Amino acid sequence: MSRTFTVEGDIASADTRTLLTTQGSVTAPSAVVPSGMTKIDKIVVAASTEGLANGAQSYFLRLGGAAIKNGEQVIAISAVGRIAPQAGSDAAPQLMPAVVLNNLDIEVSASDTVTVAVEGAGDDTGTGHAVVTIFYS
Amino acid sequence: MSRVYRTREGTVSAVDTRTQLSTLGSETAPGPLLVPQGKTKLVRIIAAQCFNMAAATGYSALIRLEGPGLPEGPESFALGAGGAGVATGGNGVNHAIAIDVDIPVTAANEILIFGEMCGTDVGSSEFVVTCVFE
Repeated sequence: MSRTFTVEGDIASADTRTLLTTQGSVTAPSAVVPSGMTKIDKIVVAASTEGLANGAQSYFLRLGGAAIKNGEQVIAISAVGRIAPQAGSDAAPQLMPAVVLNNLDIEVSASDTVTVAVEGAGDDTGTGHAVVTIFYS
Repeated sequence: MSRVYRTREGTVSAVDTRTQLSTLGSETAPGPLLVPQGKTKLVRIIAAQCFNMAAATGYSALIRLEGPGLPEGPESFALGAGGAGVATGGNGVNHAIAIDVDIPVTAANEILIFGEMCGTDVGSSEFVVTCVFE
């Protein structure tokens, strides 16, 4: 059996650990690991930027909190790049399909809380947005 | 045995230059990436990179792993390639790729992670690399 937990949020600044605490219309989803779950088996994640500033930036995920038995785990998500179009032109959108990372085997303790944070590093290419689904098993 | 995830990122700004990835966003000095206690293998690399498209040219990207944490010696991995026809109006997003590996490691010893931009100088490229230990 598996259970899911999804959070999303804006990443407003580069080099800033930003907690994801909302789930769209659900403003305060519970971050408690469901009873009987012992590990994170899979993550589905996407992070991109609005691309309002030039540069190259990477995004990575920080999984922490009392529920993560071996301490904070940090996982690469994506990298983006952008250069301004010439005057009078419009920039193309920055689109990232979610990536699925399987067989993660990250130990968790049920009934404790997990924290999900995303961080952008490198240049600040504008506000980013990230969405993360954790699959417990 | 559970897996442990350790990550470094950094900007590569010179072509054909071995550039160590030594930061982690808000952690500007996270220290050496040591093989965690009890772990004997590197089982996966998760990595992404993208360039800033500041020059009308192309490149490829690779990562290198070196250091005393790798008893069999250095390893290298292709990560991507790209280019831009003009230095105005480019943008893109690359999702991370996961490369399953089976590389012995030595606990408590350091692994150095390097990013490299190859071919021609496209400006700069941002790399993020996760080592997954088991």
